[in-house]
Amino acid sequence: MATAAIPRTGKMTMSLDPALLIPVVGAGILVYLAVVPLLMLFVGSFQAEVAPREFVYTLKNYHAAYASEYTYSTFLNSLIFASGSAGLGFILGTMLAWLTERTNTPLRGIFVPLAVVPLILPGVLESIAWIFLLSPKFGYLNVWLTNLFGLKSPPFNVFSLPGMIWVHSVGQVPLAFLLMVAAFKSMDPSLEESAMMSGANTWQTFRRVTLRLLMPTAGSVLLILFVRTLESFEAPALIGIPARIYVYTSEIFLAFNEYPPDYGRGGALAVGLLLLSAIGVWLYTRATKEGKKFQTVTGKAFRPRQFDLGGWRWVGFGFLTGYFIFVVLLPFLVLFWASFLPFFAAPSWDAVSKLSLDNYRYLSGFRPFWDALQNSILLSTLTATVAMVLTSLVAWIVYKSRLPGAWILDFLAFVPITIPGIVMGMALILLYVAFPIPIYGTIWVLLIAYVTRFIPYGMRAASGSILQIHSELEEAASASGASWWETFKRVTLPLLRPGLAAGWIYICIVSFREFSTSVLLATGESRVLSILLFTMFEQGQVTVVAAIGVLMIATLLSIVAVFYKLTGKIGIQT
Amino acid sequence: MAVFRWFHKRFAVLWVALGVNLFLPGVGLSQSLDELHKLAVKEGGTLNFYATLAQINAEKILPVFEKRFPGIKVNHVDATSDKLVARAVTEARGGKTLGDVLQVPLENVSQAHDQKLLLEVTLPESAEYPQGMKGSFWVASDLQFIIAAWNTGLVKKEEEPKQYEDFADPRWKNRLIAEPRDLEMLMGFAKYKYKSDEKAIELWRKIAANNVEFHSGHSQLAELLVAGQAAVCLTCYSHHYPARIKKGAPVNYLLSEGVASINATAVFKNAPHPNTALLYARWVASQEGQKAMAQGGRTPAHPKVEPMDKTRTEKIYPISVADIKEYPKYEKIWKEIFKLR
Repeated sequence: MATAAIPRTGKMTMSLDPALLIPVVGAGILVYLAVVPLLMLFVGSFQAEVAPREFVYTLKNYHAAYASEYTYSTFLNSLIFASGSAGLGFILGTMLAWLTERTNTPLRGIFVPLAVVPLILPGVLESIAWIFLLSPKFGYLNVWLTNLFGLKSPPFNVFSLPGMIWVHSVGQVPLAFLLMVAAFKSMDPSLEESAMMSGANTWQTFRRVTLRLLMPTAGSVLLILFVRTLESFEAPALIGIPARIYVYTSEIFLAFNEYPPDYGRGGALAVGLLLLSAIGVWLYTRATKEGKKFQTVTGKAFRPRQFDLGGWRWVGFGFLTGYFIFVVLLPFLVLFWASFLPFFAAPSWDAVSKLSLDNYRYLSGFRPFWDALQNSILLSTLTATVAMVLTSLVAWIVYKSRLPGAWILDFLAFVPITIPGIVMGMALILLYVAFPIPIYGTIWVLLIAYVTRFIPYGMRAASGSILQIHSELEEAASASGASWWETFKRVTLPLLRPGLAAGWIYICIVSFREFSTSVLLATGESRVLSILLFTMFEQGQVTVVAAIGVLMIATLLSIVAVFYKLTGKIGIQT
Repeated sequence: MAVFRWFHKRFAVLWVALGVNLFLPGVGLSQSLDELHKLAVKEGGTLNFYATLAQINAEKILPVFEKRFPGIKVNHVDATSDKLVARAVTEARGGKTLGDVLQVPLENVSQAHDQKLLLEVTLPESAEYPQGMKGSFWVASDLQFIIAAWNTGLVKKEEEPKQYEDFADPRWKNRLIAEPRDLEMLMGFAKYKYKSDEKAIELWRKIAANNVEFHSGHSQLAELLVAGQAAVCLTCYSHHYPARIKKGAPVNYLLSEGVASINATAVFKNAPHPNTALLYARWVASQEGQKAMAQGGRTPAHPKVEPMDKTRTEKIYPISVADIKEYPKYEKIWKEIFKLR
């Protein structure tokens, strides 16, 4: 056995060798974080409350969840919402990626960072901004267009399924963009060149060669967007619930948050959503693994050629400009404008005369805001740190040690990606409300939730970097007498630093904007910014909400800026 | 007779106070608020306050309490009332009580009571409240009047509504918004305006024919109305409007008739800070606390404390405790009229 242990110190003493203890502890932590809450949820989905706090085991929750008069409409809404958002997000993301990466569209370089900026805009704010813009009666775009063209009725209604799809899909564009940029970058241009040589024009080449080469990637990107939409709760909460358009996540939320709360039905719905998302993720990993078999990325030096769009490049430029003005800039601007208003009003001279700093002044003395800001900053930095430490250890065990069963760790660290945020929130409530250590209702339960949810992201950043480190370096260290921990600390960790830093900043950002798990777990003192936004929006203080939004974006931008300063590059990974 | 009732009331308070003190030493009903304050500080100085009180009111009311009783910090857990009760039920399910005080609409206080989450207690301060404003486990904290309000930019002076019958007119088609849970309107009209279910149902059916749009949360409704999402809000709270009108928002509201519903304060059984809970419950029921409620923009329930703004309607249709028991019946009709789920 000692020979299997890493590093091979030559000593036969196993009791002191941490190499065996660590994977066991690691696996224990992962099981505790990822598996135990799911078990609670699963058990809960078979329980029914017959009297206050008296339970029996039953199947009727599944009947209530999947054979009610609303089952079909919820299923259909979820399906349309997820496929619509995935489709639209994919099309927009691919267009942006193609135009900036593979064509001679003017000024395309400056659009690359701009395309990624919305990644930091929290989903709650995105929804709120679009409500300001597209609300049927007072939405700015509607008001303008109605006045401009003398329309009888407003052209857009955000409180509809297409509205939900639009709002969610523009939030997905940065992800689709990044994944597609990667795909375009790694594409061997010789096939396209052959097509051109054989007399195909730009469009024919694009359609018959480029597009087909992209098919496998496109499929997997679509799938991941689909799963992410299915799991999302921002647009379903802020737009779907008022419009009475229910999807799985909102049904689960309502089952839990309406009186009397129906944990059984909520649990049964959650188990269903979990299965759906697990199937999606499984298909995704299968597709991407298949893709690798046929990968054309070789050591051969190539630079994908650029399509000459001719006069069309100005159309491309127009598209990019239009996209950034309407989809990236406008939501920021509308929040900024609204944050100076005493109450929401359309732009007019009258409104201009009412502009003031009152909302900001109000926030400066508004304790819940400062508490929430403090919680959000503390949680996002702690989550990022804990998750990166944990995943770098796990990744090291998985990829560097030759311990039997290391793959189990890899699998366990991947499991949370299938858990929708709202399901995680629900499972953790059930687990921790009855937990002897009183962490329920504190920020520590949020920390556990965030770390669990974002372990897969950390794993991705950590394993990517670990795979690049040749074992020789570590072996040299241990041959020179360094202990396992010393080797890890003084050789492995410094080499991992850039990758880990990128993972850290990404987790920091996603934790800061997290909503769907927090909405069930954060209460009173443990409230975070995204939840404060949500409750205050529900309470109608919309212009104060806009001011919080502006400050929240400023905080996120400064996190990114500090990171940029420290490392000299933005390494956002997806 | 009145003397007897008075005596009985005082006696009952005394009896409960004695009884509680015998069985739960330290739980104070007989002490003065200042004595109770000392006990509350010893408990840790935190009040877990489960209340629907909107931030805009809470930020004015809670600091008055904190200032009056130094060393006590209010941890305000705010959400819509059904979410708060659902949370308390969930916590009880896990064997925990985290809330000290529940302050939500009476209907939701009743739900929590059905779940056996609340303490049966008669506060000395409740003696000053009339019947119907207190119960064995609650005392009214404030009243809210559900009224109609309109956007003055979208409703011309001459078409301003005078009473609810006006909204049956087809000219209001697609111009109305309401809260999906306000079945008190139907109930209040049936029981007190018309004293007839049929007549009330008929009116609301006619109004429903004008295609009412629903949004959750009264504060949000008010904000939507200010922004111009609709011309009229059918089920808004009167206390939301004076402050907005002062800020220059283009709105006005109907004070000729309205349904009054009670917000109530209750103390959780097994509250983690029992003395702090009682301290708050007693303070908010006292004249002093009720004045703070009034200054914070609510309509006080105490008969001797006047609201700061015009929020009480001329004709009041009050939803009583007995009425609340009939909620399921009216909820079904209400949902059916508006095709809500």
